[in-house]
Amino acid sequence: MATTPETKRQTYTVEAIPSDVKNGVFLGNPMLDNLVSCVIAMGSEMWTTKRRLKVLEAVMSKAGVTSEMVEKYQPTEQELAAWEQERGRFIEMTLGSLANDGIRGVGADYPARD
Amino acid sequence: MIGRRTFFGAATASVALGSLLKSQAAAAAAQAAGQIAGNYDPRGMVGRLERLGTLDLESQQDFTEGFRLMHGKMIRKASNDALERVLARNGIDPTTPLTKEELIALVENEPAINIASKAWLANQQVTWKSLQDHFHRHADEYLSEMDAADRAGPGALELNPSMDVPAYTRHEIHIQPGGYVGDPFAGHMYHYGTNSFYIGVIGHNEQDQIHKGTAARIPLPQDGKVKRILDMGCGVGQMTAAMKERFPDAEVWGIDIGGPMVRYAHMRAANLGIGANFAQRLAEDTKFPDGYFDIVVSYIMHHELPAHITRAVIVEAERVTRPGGVYYPVDFLSGGTKMPARNMYGRWWDHRWNNEVWSFEYHGLDFTQEIAKRAFTINKATPAALPGFGARHAVRNA
Repeated sequence: MATTPETKRQTYTVEAIPSDVKNGVFLGNPMLDNLVSCVIAMGSEMWTTKRRLKVLEAVMSKAGVTSEMVEKYQPTEQELAAWEQERGRFIEMTLGSLANDGIRGVGADYPARD
Repeated sequence: MIGRRTFFGAATASVALGSLLKSQAAAAAAQAAGQIAGNYDPRGMVGRLERLGTLDLESQQDFTEGFRLMHGKMIRKASNDALERVLARNGIDPTTPLTKEELIALVENEPAINIASKAWLANQQVTWKSLQDHFHRHADEYLSEMDAADRAGPGALELNPSMDVPAYTRHEIHIQPGGYVGDPFAGHMYHYGTNSFYIGVIGHNEQDQIHKGTAARIPLPQDGKVKRILDMGCGVGQMTAAMKERFPDAEVWGIDIGGPMVRYAHMRAANLGIGANFAQRLAEDTKFPDGYFDIVVSYIMHHELPAHITRAVIVEAERVTRPGGVYYPVDFLSGGTKMPARNMYGRWWDHRWNNEVWSFEYHGLDFTQEIAKRAFTINKATPAALPGFGARHAVRNA
């Protein structure tokens, strides 16, 4: 994702000097590092889902919505399209780290900068 | 930087100050009529903390906070145990002072230490990415809200979009994407992202408890007069707001180089009805008149500055603090780039991989001694305003 969203509004930003943390290799094999990133992100997504379910169950029971009504629900076309987009975001968050190419050892100094 | 004084100039600063205070009065009147126009607040407030914009985002932050707590209790302990084993294997007493280079050579290939590092960083990245994704996805709403808040009160806001932003301020400290200057939602992200930092290190701060407690312990000038207060490097303005709440009749200013940071600080204070003023300025070049302030504070800023900038900030604090006034910069205990291995590892790692770019320069200073070199008298009997951090009660000499 771009650092600055597309906007015509004044953002009062200047260019930052990026951290090289994505390229850090701590576990010998950069792909192992990537897998750990995936696991942590997956954990956050799983907990997010579980927590939403807890909220839903609490709200639904107060509103008289039964579990059977949920099981039999047929999503609309619009809902399916929106969920597909959300699925893409979910997969990028949880598995996108597999694309990092780790090139810096743990003891590496900062990259050369002007 | 220091040289920019010639660009803005003292006269310009005086004019800006006058017009700002006029606009502050107008904004205060508008604020009295109700909440700020354009306020984007989809899920309401919990006390003084605006709830995050979606339930999912709130839950993601809840997870990363929980992971951080678990990491501190379990994974870090395993890492520390592994470090002790490495030291024992190499016949090194854990209290022996080591340089960072000596330490890196020892731990570089130690799996139990490196998994702790990797897992902590991965969690930190999820914290930032989930926040950044949300604010960027709703950029128009949040930018619109800030646009409206920029003109609201109580409390004024000064932005300087054409100012020269020094390179030393542009790093992604704490690996926050865009750092303090490069993302329009730097303030939003910092505020929510640091809540889990506080829980993992000091305690809950969602209601600004830590800042309020710290502000309450800042010592008064001996004559008790507090008309003006400056918070240098104010970030999202939690300390500034806490000082204004402690001294409601004082003119209180928070300054920070991050435009998005002071925008957020001002918006949040205004939404809470706290009339603190904020300006995008450098701590080493505040633009305020000589002797203008009765109290000058900063809150955990100096370890994010190069050593020569820390010295320049102390000179500026000396200039703007009136005789008998108090200068109290809250920050970590400093001193020493060679220390026992078990302490050195955490310090080096935080510097290198949590991107605390300047922390080794800070720790290379004796910060309190640097203050004592200027026209200040250090009161060593005063306890730390933030327990566990350095006590630096400096009184400006006459």
